[in-house]
Amino acid sequence: MIAKLFGGRMAALLGKEFAQIGRDKRLRISLILPPTLQLLLFGFALNATVDNLRLGIVDFDHSRESRDLIAAMTQSGAFRSAGAFTSAETLGTGISQGKVDAGIVLPVNFSKDLHRGHQVGVQVLLNAMNANTAAIAQGYTQGVLGTWNQVMLKSGSLHARFTQIGAVPRDLRGIVTLHPAFIFNPGLVSSWFVVTGTFGLLLILNGSLVASAAMVKEREAGTVEQLLMTPAGTGEIIVAKIAPLFVLLCGMVLFATTLIKVVFQIPFRGNLVIVFLGAALCVLCGIAIGTFLATFTRTARQAQLMSFFVNPPLSSLSGALTPVEAMPHWMQPLTILNPIRHFGVITRAALLKGSSIDILWPNILALAAITLVLLSLSVWRFRKQLG
Amino acid sequence: MRRILAQARKELIQITRDKLALTLALVLPIALLMLLGSSISLSVTELPLVVQDLDNSAASRSLLEAFRNSLTFHVVAWPVNKPPMEAFTANEARAALIIDRGFGRALARGGDAQAQILIDASDSNTAKLIQGYSSQIVNAWNSTAGGAQRLLPVKALIRLWYNPGRVTKKFYGPGIFVLGLSMFPPLLAALAMSREGEQQTLLQVYVSSIPAHQFLLGKILAFMVIGFAEWVIMLGLLFTYFGLSFAGDPTPFFVASILYFFCVATYGTMIGAAIPSQAAAIQAVALGGFLLVFLLSGLIFPVENIPPGLRWISNFVWGRYYMEIVRDALLEGGGWAAMWFNVLVIGIIGGVFFLLSWRRMRRMQLSI
Repeated sequence: MIAKLFGGRMAALLGKEFAQIGRDKRLRISLILPPTLQLLLFGFALNATVDNLRLGIVDFDHSRESRDLIAAMTQSGAFRSAGAFTSAETLGTGISQGKVDAGIVLPVNFSKDLHRGHQVGVQVLLNAMNANTAAIAQGYTQGVLGTWNQVMLKSGSLHARFTQIGAVPRDLRGIVTLHPAFIFNPGLVSSWFVVTGTFGLLLILNGSLVASAAMVKEREAGTVEQLLMTPAGTGEIIVAKIAPLFVLLCGMVLFATTLIKVVFQIPFRGNLVIVFLGAALCVLCGIAIGTFLATFTRTARQAQLMSFFVNPPLSSLSGALTPVEAMPHWMQPLTILNPIRHFGVITRAALLKGSSIDILWPNILALAAITLVLLSLSVWRFRKQLG
Repeated sequence: MRRILAQARKELIQITRDKLALTLALVLPIALLMLLGSSISLSVTELPLVVQDLDNSAASRSLLEAFRNSLTFHVVAWPVNKPPMEAFTANEARAALIIDRGFGRALARGGDAQAQILIDASDSNTAKLIQGYSSQIVNAWNSTAGGAQRLLPVKALIRLWYNPGRVTKKFYGPGIFVLGLSMFPPLLAALAMSREGEQQTLLQVYVSSIPAHQFLLGKILAFMVIGFAEWVIMLGLLFTYFGLSFAGDPTPFFVASILYFFCVATYGTMIGAAIPSQAAAIQAVALGGFLLVFLLSGLIFPVENIPPGLRWISNFVWGRYYMEIVRDALLEGGGWAAMWFNVLVIGIIGGVFFLLSWRRMRRMQLSI
């Protein structure tokens, strides 16, 4: 059986497909160039870090304390000074014209009130157009002011009313200090999240593009009939078409993994075998999607245009670039059907957290199931067309 | 002028005949805006939080209650004797709150009580949000239940401008709007132009009396019309589903939109003229229309976050300027004073594209 498979027809068919792909220069380029470019661009350009926000300053008080607070704000790294404004109005115009991202207004009598024992309200204006930046900047601001309060209280230069324990008796008189500790990525490197997500994205998207181009080629050239006239069965033709693509795309997986390790220095804490297993399934999945699309089209142009319909939902419902938890609730269950989502979970958990197979098996299983369904669907369509 | 209009009419007729192209032009922008506009978000809610209360006092339970009541977290049961790290590797929690023994007693004495929050930072942005939210919860608890009835010297009065509810789709909606306009009109334009090259119908144009610039303008006009149609549909969606409205003087937005239609239609035509193969032209447009606009124009994250080695490219990305204008018109309302430069740049980039495609056409004419 095996000798028959690999000795005769099958070997000849495989030889033909490999030779065809070997001669296709554009295919070889499209296997290396776009994935590299995408991985680098996504990894470097999609950076969630919120720092160096331009802070406009309105200081009506001009005292030692007000300058000290401004220094604390601008030294935090989250904000940098974008110059002084004369009034709250000009600051407002500055924000609306996009010259500054945030503003702080220190009132007249700022230091006097502090020494008199009155609480002072400091107005902080944030451009909340970008909700994420605003949420993080809000956290920063409260953190900086909180620390500043503590430092001032400890220094003892303020009015005694701030340090005495309140008049209302309570049974809990202390305060809780929360100590955050960042696990797995203490430097909070943004690219680790994006790159591990993009990996699956580019396997599926490029895989399907390459596959649909390869599948539609024979039809465009009108040589399908010749292939059908040979004694080879449709099953053999399909396997011979898929096998070389699979081998080539697995090469792309190795290349992308190297890139991830060398350029982005992502720690490989877990078992790489799990990642490669997931990647191989992803590649098959991509081929299946591409083959499926190719059966609906007659030309390379149509096949490529079809991908415009499939890629947006595939990529946006994947959690590859933004966390799934941030999607609307009705959308989140849909991601279970998405192979990119499962592969993203696998790479992130295995590479960054060192999770093992006994935790990741549901994702592998789901990925395998999706691959199987898509693959049999596309083979069925393909066979029907050949027959 | 008559010839330009005739050329534009011919293009539009060709598009209405091609069903695939027509859906691409009119249905896909809506689907894209709805799908991406609502799915791209970084505001996480209901993050699973593991709690290990080793103190189990009234005080610690009250603090946990505060975490339980927040929208950001939902508390997951976790045995006290199991290390919380395992919850992270098992993807069952994003953070773990640990309250040590003696927590309640320290609070009652009036001292500082310690609590630790371990945060899974494999997603750094979410980790930062968790840090901010959890400290806000603790601060609020300190001042209501704990001993922070002590008067704090300085209190932050934070005002969130333009998007006080921090609604993410109000920010990403306009971004996807620009992405759609940067993708589909040039895609169709490139297809139409490269088809003329592929099917050699360009020769017919050369033997006709129409000069290169009129031929180009006719084509561009047709795809500007397509762009305008998409603009109307998507703007309608922004005003209804995304709950946006004009924040200030919309005239810079209108002027910039017309220039932007010209810019993207010309970009597509230029690509189509340069690459006389439809399949390759699609890829080139996908690179410029999708990848550059999606990554280098501040759609998801601010342009300032891109490392300087890449950031300079964004100065040439036309979508970036238009995105700033759209967001200004719908959220900030800075008007002409803030946006005149962006309008100018879009016009210049469109002009450059036109010159390039015109030169290309002229050269092709000479070579035949």
